Amino acid sequence: MSSVTTTLNEYRRREGTNRLGLWLFLISDTFVFAGMFVARFYLLGSGTRPEVSQELGLAITTLLLISSYFMYTAETAMAFGDTRKYYRSLMVTIALGTLFLIGVVAVEWPLAHYDGSVPTSIFFLMTGFHAFHVLTGIFFLVIVYRNSKKGLYTAERHWPVEAAAVYWHFVDVVWIFFYPALYLIGGVAG
Amino acid sequence: MDEKKKQAYGIGNAILIVLLALTVGEFLLGNFADVWSIVWAPLIAIAVLKAFFVVRDFMHVRRLWTGDEEEHA
Repeated sequence: MSSVTTTLNEYRRREGTNRLGLWLFLISDTFVFAGMFVARFYLLGSGTRPEVSQELGLAITTLLLISSYFMYTAETAMAFGDTRKYYRSLMVTIALGTLFLIGVVAVEWPLAHYDGSVPTSIFFLMTGFHAFHVLTGIFFLVIVYRNSKKGLYTAERHWPVEAAAVYWHFVDVVWIFFYPALYLIGGVAG
Repeated sequence: MDEKKKQAYGIGNAILIVLLALTVGEFLLGNFADVWSIVWAPLIAIAVLKAFFVVRDFMHVRRLWTGDEEEHA
């Protein structure tokens, strides 16, 4: 067995441990989001929802789903050594994530008019905590992009790219549940 | 290798189409059905289905117990 093979095997072993650690973190984070999700139904029931823009909700949800697709494409491209496609897809992911963030924080929040009521409090709590995760994900992706430019990752060794991708998809999964909870289930309160 | 690459990108395209179709479906259901006592159930079911596809195909949850050698070989 050559030393290169041994090193790659060692990398795979460490990668497996890192992967388990990341998923354990995501599962623990899921409990926080799940708590908010349950609180929304406990406080508002299934007959009431915050007053939000339906069109904007659909638009930002679509943006996040498409960003997840480009993140998947970026990771796949890296795994197959398709560098140009990797950089292009990663940049599109970052751009779409930023647009999602702008859509929630700069457009939806001013429209939602915080008035101290339970529906608006729940809305700002859930979207705010999620937006913070999106922001963290964007930072993570920018770091991965910079490190890629430095030549730190290869088709065989790119755990940080996979980690960033899994984290990004996790943020998407959370929104998959928040979207119907905040925008679709129930009639407008008040 | 090329076949595997094509297949991997194909999975991404297929999942995106399914996710977008389900999202439009839940948007229509949420906006045009006004029986709130029952409509939450299909909306949550659609969300679970969407999450399933993302976790299985985009997050590669299987790598947790198989590693990624078989996918990248």
